Amino acid sequence: MMSISSSLTDNLDQLRERLGNSPDIIIRKFTLMSAQIQVAAIYVEGLIEKAVVEEFVGHMMSIDSFDGKHPEIISAKDIFAFMKEKARNVSEEKIIKDWDVLFEALFSGNTILLIDGIGEAIRGNTSGGEVRSVTEATTQVAIRGSKESFTESLGTNLSLVRRKIKSPNLWIETMKIGDVTQTNVSLMYIHGIVNDKALQALKKKLQAIDVDAILESGYIEQLIEENVFSPFPTLYNTERPDSVAGNILEGRVAIFVDGTPFVLIAPTSFFMFFHAVEDYYQRFDISTFIRLLRFMCLIISLFGPAVFIAALNFHQEMIPTSLLINLASQREGVPFPAFIEALMMEVTFEIIREAGIRMPSPIGQTVSIIGGLVLGQAAVQAGIISPAMVIVVSLTGISSFATPAFNMALSIRILRFTIMFVAAFMGLYGISILLFILIAHMCSLRSLGFPYMSPLGPFIAENHRDSIIRVPLKFMSKRPRLVNQKNITRMAVDKGKRGDSDES
Amino acid sequence: MRKELISANQLFAMIILFEMGTALVVPIGLESGHAVWISILLALPGGVLLYLIYSYLYQQYPNMIISGYTQRILGRFLGWPLSLLYIPIFMYNGSRNLREAGDLLIASSYDQTPIFIINAMMITAVIYVLNKGLEVFSRTAEIYLLIILGMGLICCFVVIAAGLVEFENLFPIHAKDWRDALTSAYPSIWTFPYGELVCFTTILPHINKFRVAQRTGIAAIILSGLLLSFTHAIEISVLGTNIYARATFPLFTTITLVNLANFIQRLDALVILTLIIGVFFKMTIYCYAAMTVTADLFKVKDARKLAVPIGIVVLFSSFISAENYPIHLDEGKVFMKYILTYMCAAVPILLFIVHYIRKCLGLLR
Repeated sequence: MMSISSSLTDNLDQLRERLGNSPDIIIRKFTLMSAQIQVAAIYVEGLIEKAVVEEFVGHMMSIDSFDGKHPEIISAKDIFAFMKEKARNVSEEKIIKDWDVLFEALFSGNTILLIDGIGEAIRGNTSGGEVRSVTEATTQVAIRGSKESFTESLGTNLSLVRRKIKSPNLWIETMKIGDVTQTNVSLMYIHGIVNDKALQALKKKLQAIDVDAILESGYIEQLIEENVFSPFPTLYNTERPDSVAGNILEGRVAIFVDGTPFVLIAPTSFFMFFHAVEDYYQRFDISTFIRLLRFMCLIISLFGPAVFIAALNFHQEMIPTSLLINLASQREGVPFPAFIEALMMEVTFEIIREAGIRMPSPIGQTVSIIGGLVLGQAAVQAGIISPAMVIVVSLTGISSFATPAFNMALSIRILRFTIMFVAAFMGLYGISILLFILIAHMCSLRSLGFPYMSPLGPFIAENHRDSIIRVPLKFMSKRPRLVNQKNITRMAVDKGKRGDSDES
Repeated sequence: MRKELISANQLFAMIILFEMGTALVVPIGLESGHAVWISILLALPGGVLLYLIYSYLYQQYPNMIISGYTQRILGRFLGWPLSLLYIPIFMYNGSRNLREAGDLLIASSYDQTPIFIINAMMITAVIYVLNKGLEVFSRTAEIYLLIILGMGLICCFVVIAAGLVEFENLFPIHAKDWRDALTSAYPSIWTFPYGELVCFTTILPHINKFRVAQRTGIAAIILSGLLLSFTHAIEISVLGTNIYARATFPLFTTITLVNLANFIQRLDALVILTLIIGVFFKMTIYCYAAMTVTADLFKVKDARKLAVPIGIVVLFSSFISAENYPIHLDEGKVFMKYILTYMCAAVPILLFIVHYIRKCLGLLR
């Protein structure tokens, strides 16, 4: 920690040297007429709002315009005292004594004032600059519900949620993570509803992070998750303010990371990844139906090709005779075993999907359509793939898009291949053995100490109002209970009521 | 290490899965002919009584598993060897279940696969779950209970909807049938499946409250007894006593008969899945019991270390112990009659009596 020296020239030299003469650092020097003392204003171009800087600097320099009204201001000390007073009026004032704090303030968009002869600097918040405006959500689309989504600016993101929850109990804590990037990370929760144990655990984990850079919330996610080698995500991410609001109202904590529109939510349960905000906006019967549909899609996208392979290889007797004959005749000219066939198609499908994402967006769509149609059609006509397999694979692919959380859909994609392998070698028996391991693994997962499979294992009857199905809003008078680690005492989250206030 | 706790729901799920494990699929109590379902019900009170004894012993020694209080009650010189006997018995019983599952799978669709591979896969899953600990296992049981009940409902529905149930096969029940039912209920059905609950003496210490353990245990035993009786009644009513007695896996045979609208047919996969799930849970509980008893007797600090060795012993004994399935069944009869009865019923009752006498005489503590 180096402290600021009292010589302005020394300070400016030091500044230039330490910042490598970067041209976006603007240093403006003034000489105050009344006292002939030099003052420098320093800011970073692009991080500030020009008009605000002008106003700030103008106010500071207004000492000159008093013309004899302030005869006592003759020394640097007086100027410093005057500016300190003035700065308090204009914007939040703060005195900086050492370089590290100065740089941090500088790169957060502050304007720094250095006065010759004073070993302290004054900072004024002038942050601004270009940020992306609030736009419609692109990754989590809802037919009904608010259209806005988070942006890259932390302040905007926090305010978007503040606007939805106008309660003094909405608390935000900010910390800096990343030695080099000094990224602002904010925790948002509702005091009194949040599970304190989870909050403490989360803070501890965040404070323990020691890395150079946090460029996206994904870094935080990977650094704080408990089971690194699990295919399942244990933190939920969203770019929708209403989703964050709903989740923190249920007692969860939201983690905002500066520079990304994706906000993390913890603790989570497996079933959360299959909920969409819209489920709460639609009527309960529709939501329930759609949720059941999503779980069906989960089963199809996990087991679809695997069961098909198993049935063809090991359990022909399970298929009704006419269908079996039909399938057999389709596969007549196909030179590969069912597993290879399925694997080829699945890999092709994954390639098309990945290429569709990475391609420049105007061509992206075309690639996926052309690739899918042409490859599928051609492969069947060439006799490499049976038409039934194309149907199974495309059904699986479409089903995996029905999962609202993209990171969960990704892990399902990976697991599908494993299950296909096992199915090819051991049929349905292999699948069911793998399922034992998978379910046991999921039951062993914890998200911030909360059981991942929560309303099912451990079974919590009350939480089933909003897990696989959703009951009418009127009956959801209690927040979901998050089970604590000892599995017996439950946290008190019943202070607030959800839904109709006249309900109990 | 933190003590793992399990909830009432989890105990309930484990007991039901354990009871239904293999008993659902293999024929039990053949002596009673078409009155098997009555023998199951007759054996139910005995099973509950036995469970009461287990839970009483647990109440007296809330932090000890069976090997612990056996030594406490009978003294170290008598208690230690006696509890040592439980280890091979738990393991052998587990391996029997594994063998049954393996044989059903080979008979149904894996005729080309060696039994070693089939059993080894199952053991892999068991070892994995045992390594994760009892808490994870009990949560898994909760989820699978729902799956099993769901499949049971489907099976029941299709069998009834297909019009296969003929009640003439169940009735009439004469005085002689009642006698037969009683003789097959005690001791054969009493010990298998009810007496096998002796394994739960190693799980009960993980429950916080005695009352919870007692109530949920009894509820689970009664429910599983009713379900078992119902299933076997349906099997007999569909197959008739003759085929029921001869079939290796009557439930399997029953389901193969289903043909609804020429579309819903060949649901054998459901039965196989039921058996796999049942065997998996039953075996894991047996291995867990063997593991904890071993750890307790030989002062192993972390019982989970024993998962692999015990798993391997169970795996090999599953196919070495009998050359073929009939021999396996024969051995089972001997095992059940001369060993299981004593270890499941006689020893706990003896412990109960000795404990009670010593308590009355004020000799304990």
